[in-house]
Amino acid sequence: MSLIADPPVRRPRHGRLARKRRLAGLLLSVPAILLVGALLWAPIVQAIRYSMTTWNGYSAPVWIGPSAYATALSDPIVHRVLENNALLLLAVPLAIGIPLIIAALLHEHVRGWRFFRSVYFLPTAISWVVIGMVALEFFAANGMLNHLLADVGLGSVHTDMLASEYNALAALAITFIWSMIGTNTIIFLTGMATLDPTLLEAARVDGLSRRQIFFRVTLPLLTRFIQFAFVITVISAFSALFSLIFVMTGGGPGLGTTTLEFFVYQAGFAQGQFGIGALYGIILFVIMIIVGIGQLRLIRSQDGEGW
Amino acid sequence: MATASARPAEAASAPSAPATPVSRWQSARFRRRVTATAIFTIMVLIAIVMFYPFWYMGDNSFRNQAQFDRQSGHSLAGWKQLFNDLPVVHQLVSSTIVCVAAIAIILVVATTAGFAFAKLRYRGSGLVFLLIVAAMMVPLQSIIIPEYVNLAKFSLTSNYAGAVLVYAALGAPFATFLMATFYRGISDELIEAAVMDGLSYERTFLRIALPLSLPAIATVTVLQFIQIWDDLLVGYLFLPTGDRTITVGLAVLSSGRTTGIPPLMAGSLVSAIPAIIVYLIFQRYLIRGLTLGMGK
Amino acid sequence: MRRWRIAAAAAAAALLAAGCGSGSGNGGSGASNAPVTLTIWHNYGTEQNATALVNLAKAFHRLHPNITVNVVSQPATNYFALLQAKAISHNGPDLAVMWTGLFTLQYKGFLQNLKGYVSASALAQVDPNALKWTSDSFDPANGPYVIPLENQFYIGFYNKADFAKAGVTSVPTDWSELYAACTKLKKAGYTPIVYGNGGQPLGATFYPWYDMSYMMIGAYTVPQWQGLYSGSTPWTSPAISGQLSNWVKLHSAGCTNSDVVTNTTNLGQFESGKAAMMVDGTWDTQKFTSALGSNVAAFVPPFSSTPIKGVVDFAGDGISMMSYSPHKAQAAEFLTFMTTKQAAAIINAAGLIPAINGTSTTNSVNQEMLNFVSHGGMTAYPMLDNVVQGNVVNIGSKFLPSVLNGSESIAKALQDMQTTLQQLPASQRGNTFP
Repeated sequence: MSLIADPPVRRPRHGRLARKRRLAGLLLSVPAILLVGALLWAPIVQAIRYSMTTWNGYSAPVWIGPSAYATALSDPIVHRVLENNALLLLAVPLAIGIPLIIAALLHEHVRGWRFFRSVYFLPTAISWVVIGMVALEFFAANGMLNHLLADVGLGSVHTDMLASEYNALAALAITFIWSMIGTNTIIFLTGMATLDPTLLEAARVDGLSRRQIFFRVTLPLLTRFIQFAFVITVISAFSALFSLIFVMTGGGPGLGTTTLEFFVYQAGFAQGQFGIGALYGIILFVIMIIVGIGQLRLIRSQDGEGW
Repeated sequence: MATASARPAEAASAPSAPATPVSRWQSARFRRRVTATAIFTIMVLIAIVMFYPFWYMGDNSFRNQAQFDRQSGHSLAGWKQLFNDLPVVHQLVSSTIVCVAAIAIILVVATTAGFAFAKLRYRGSGLVFLLIVAAMMVPLQSIIIPEYVNLAKFSLTSNYAGAVLVYAALGAPFATFLMATFYRGISDELIEAAVMDGLSYERTFLRIALPLSLPAIATVTVLQFIQIWDDLLVGYLFLPTGDRTITVGLAVLSSGRTTGIPPLMAGSLVSAIPAIIVYLIFQRYLIRGLTLGMGK
Repeated sequence: MRRWRIAAAAAAAALLAAGCGSGSGNGGSGASNAPVTLTIWHNYGTEQNATALVNLAKAFHRLHPNITVNVVSQPATNYFALLQAKAISHNGPDLAVMWTGLFTLQYKGFLQNLKGYVSASALAQVDPNALKWTSDSFDPANGPYVIPLENQFYIGFYNKADFAKAGVTSVPTDWSELYAACTKLKKAGYTPIVYGNGGQPLGATFYPWYDMSYMMIGAYTVPQWQGLYSGSTPWTSPAISGQLSNWVKLHSAGCTNSDVVTNTTNLGQFESGKAAMMVDGTWDTQKFTSALGSNVAAFVPPFSSTPIKGVVDFAGDGISMMSYSPHKAQAAEFLTFMTTKQAAAIINAAGLIPAINGTSTTNSVNQEMLNFVSHGGMTAYPMLDNVVQGNVVNIGSKFLPSVLNGSESIAKALQDMQTTLQQLPASQRGNTFP
């Protein structure tokens, strides 16, 4: 079948044109480098330094040194918190898979797709505080979930998910998956806008079923965007859930929903111990680089054309 | 598909046709119809779930605190309190200024850099790209105080400038990443053909790549708009109190001991509307078929 | 009607004071002639405290026309981090709301010690118990960092009508009387004590330090609480776990709602009379009196094996001066004004309990609370979460609700609190307060 992408074009790697290309590339990336360097990497480097001190902002920081990391990493509470982060990763495939299916259906123009495309994105516009309150009310013992269960005759399955540690984390993960639907769906729709309709048409003429087209044509061409969504979803799970956790569970019960990000806030930021906040933040930073960048490099080895 | 589902009775009662092929044809069509109905039902259910928070906000905004506590009765108290306690309009204007300025910067740096990292690679560009993407992986709470100290030194915290710059920097890695991902889908021949025609790479970017990337630009705009609009921490630290964003303004409704939920719900509803409008405007660019020279 | 009369009285007092003030004010500071704008930050949201502060600012401006006071409301989340950041860049407010106890001492790096700024005679007007908890080592002789705005109580509220219908004739004063009352209330169809996430800032579960304060009152004297800070009385002590097991029995015996961790409607349940008791604080007094009228009354949560002898009566917040303020003289004038009877009247009019000597409150339920100390012979205790380390409070807030729910063991929760305490640097758990 002629559905597999053409081999990548060989462009000259040497010569005048190549040099012009490299120069243009450098020139066009300078604004981003300056912005990110000055406003993100500068404070990151400062935070690395502060992470080894008792910095609180106004009094002279006392140097602790790299042993601060050893102490933090041997703390059983930190272990428990890291376990939560690891468990939250299990939600990522669903947070990508569900929007992928929705995007594929919308892209196929199922009945009412214009309406659904609008409505599915709406909750993305709502503040985390509201989402947290709604989720809290939904999962509560006297909340919606149990009313719905009772309505369909499952009243005996009375849940109180937010009252026990791992169930609360599951409830948080469900809310997180729900909250990612809008964002990831439009990322995949963007990706599908790059698909060549003639390819899909050809597949249809070849007699492929809808499912076959999805798995054999659409999905391979969307790899880049799935990769992108993966990185963004991991980043969201690890560093964008603070407000949701704050309102929905407060990190509890116990340490059940305290992720490292929330721990950065509670043990460091809210206590005014910015050194400790930086310490846990850098640990999280390293973990996310391993998970996120590692994934980007991994894909590269497969298609030989990664980042 | 609509006609198929509109005539189920006729299809089921076509007695005169030969038995075997028709029943196969019928059952295939029947199966397709069942699938379509099932999909439609699930889509409707998801839509209800997605819409529920709006009902929750609307319902609870028309209460006073006692009515909220007891979840019975409605009144205009929440809305009255919102407009009494907060300069809502001024804060909406502030939010808009900050969002528009920051997104303008984000789009400029992200489209250019995204194109460079995807199509105009140079020695080390892969590493630079990874460093830019990595910069969004540190939790904001860990770097915001050093950031604040740095910007305060340059007196950038007494007007919009500081917050705009920080938002732009926070959004740039995501946007650059998405733009680069998108530009990688443009075929190299297209770019090289334009260059052969005598355009410089910079002009090729402006004339060819940029117009093609409207779907990605729309996505960046929508997602960053929401991100910045709903952010609390940066607006809180970097904006002067007179020029607060609506999100910071609403946070004032919760105190050390209690929270005025009805006005908070009313405010959240008001605050969600601009983002929704932005999405509804931009979603028409998220269509299939913008494929001139796309796909490799 | 009565409130209107108080307002009129306050206004009259303000006029009088303005008359005197213009005569004596010039002597205070030479700078007071040039127009100055003071900025005050608060994290009061839409509470009565915000009303009180705004009215104080207005009254002060009438006394000192050349000093304008700009009151700015700040979000409560991250409020202290914001103050800290502004202290680094020295572009924060002149005055700001500060919580007392260890909060004050934690942030004293950018707070002005008020000794010498607010005169001794003015300080003498303030409830000495209130000033104590804002001074170094909690010794008022060292000078306060905060002028308290109000006295707050962690307190129990109960529904008199529910008690009467259930045949509970006297308010319980110890654990066994509480269990007895519970049995009767349950039989009459009421939820005896309701727990849930209302009655605190936005948050998921109930805040356990109201209850914890009363359990520690039942176990220890005020000076002994220092041992909880220093670690000389470990959190794992038998006295503490004994108190907690009595507390857990409330839930296991059905004295509470079953969903203590996830209930979101506790305020409604109490306001509608379905629940007979609730442990909360003065910030909800007005809400309850307007919902339940004279049926609501205050009681001391009887979390003690012997009749409970203490009540949490604590000036939890007040106004502090930033050490970098360029207008210290004028800021000090405002703080001095807060110690006057006129200020007390304004604070009372907003429904709060002023922390000024010899004042009373016009809310009868609040007055009941004051009477526990002045007439009932109760000892005033601070809020426990203001005098033990923030990290310990955090861990306790996470685990204690689950303990009451029965899903976490008492020993495990207390051990986690103890471990957290021991991990703190020695300077944060000394034998004296910092």
